Amino acid sequence: MKLHRALYLLFASAVMIFSSGCAPKSPLPADKHYSSSAIRVPFVAPRSELCASSSIEMLSLHWQSVGTYLPRLSLAELDSRTLIPAKGGTLQIELIAAARANGLLAYPLEPTYAALFSELEAGHPVVVLLNRAYSWYPLWHYAPITGYDAKAQAIRMHYADTPDEAVPIGTFAALWERSGNWGVVLLPPTELPTSARADKFLQAAYDLEKTGMRAEAITAYETALLRWPEDTSFLFAAGNAYYASHRLSRAEENYRKIVRIDPLHSLALNNLADLLCRSGRAEEALELLDQAKSSDARTQALIKATREEIGRGCDPLFKSPHQENSSLSH
Amino acid sequence: MKTSKLILSFILSITLFAQVSFAQIASTGALLTQSAAVSSKEKLIETITRKDVVEKFEQMGVDPKVIEARVASMTDEEASKIAYQIDTLPAGADAGMSIIGAIVFIFIVLLITDILGVTKVFNFTRPITN
Repeated sequence: MKLHRALYLLFASAVMIFSSGCAPKSPLPADKHYSSSAIRVPFVAPRSELCASSSIEMLSLHWQSVGTYLPRLSLAELDSRTLIPAKGGTLQIELIAAARANGLLAYPLEPTYAALFSELEAGHPVVVLLNRAYSWYPLWHYAPITGYDAKAQAIRMHYADTPDEAVPIGTFAALWERSGNWGVVLLPPTELPTSARADKFLQAAYDLEKTGMRAEAITAYETALLRWPEDTSFLFAAGNAYYASHRLSRAEENYRKIVRIDPLHSLALNNLADLLCRSGRAEEALELLDQAKSSDARTQALIKATREEIGRGCDPLFKSPHQENSSLSH
Repeated sequence: MKTSKLILSFILSITLFAQVSFAQIASTGALLTQSAAVSSKEKLIETITRKDVVEKFEQMGVDPKVIEARVASMTDEEASKIAYQIDTLPAGADAGMSIIGAIVFIFIVLLITDILGVTKVFNFTRPITN
């Protein structure tokens, strides 16, 4: 009698789920075909609460196996940099920050299947955030996606303790949707995400520079300039990064290239004038500064300050370069 | 408290070194935000925000030895998001549910539906609707 009742309950709830359309459906448009991909990503067995750290480590091992990338942190260091004991897990921001500290560029994935599949086809594994349970009872989990099986319509991923588990696309979609389709492409700065937009990639590379990874940031700017050679934003970012790391001829080269492309680029003119003045070419600096016009009040103030500095005679460059090096590159 | 002060002074020294050394240079950030320089008021807000993150991390049991490195590896935007939203941000973990956890979970769901009057699985519940 009791067993009968339990079966009845089970059957009723199954009918309810199916009739309400909750059964997982493929999120992919029927007219689009995505090809299969299989990326060889070494598997790191899960440890309680440390899936973010494991995910970074798996991608880091992958990039070591296919290229010249060298990680900056050990697995133990990644663990201690990602876990928040009271939350029993890792925040998305800290997954990104720890990946950067490990020498990887973190490019936020567009929350679409087109972007996801374009990265997988290019051999870029993607880390996603999934909710394994319900929106009102979340069980959050990070996992690297290692490919797609078009025939079986399944996402391949290192899911918890199973390497390359084939998760049906409908189920995957349900889990992924609950995180707002959150994903991040982690790759060495010598690689460019195929789905990358120039402005978002610049932001990701500049985030590396701001958090003390200037050498990696310069590599990322140069990588971007291979795809967008005339993009003055990347030239400007690279120029500034070279300037800050005392590579003056490279900095000057970049600023001059911007001015050739856009003769009215006031920020580049300002920085070039500063560089010239500080390396003993005050006259040319003033000539360039005369061309810098801006309607932005802060830029105007900056140009004025640079002009005054040139009038006073600029400080020679970098009296104590060791000091700056030690404070920025740790 | 002592560790947070030490960490704060470390962060301060980093940010000051990074920004003061180039007074006349337009930073790359100036290009991204369409404004040329960071004002001293913004720098102060930023310093306070990072101090908040340090304190939150201390309360949440983060290993004090790495707090400094963790906060230093965040951008300003990331630090302020953590400072203001840490309680509601999701934290990814490995834990799937254990069998016992699942049994307790089902028990609680049935208990709630019993109390709501949608089910009457247990003999000891009284629905609130009647």
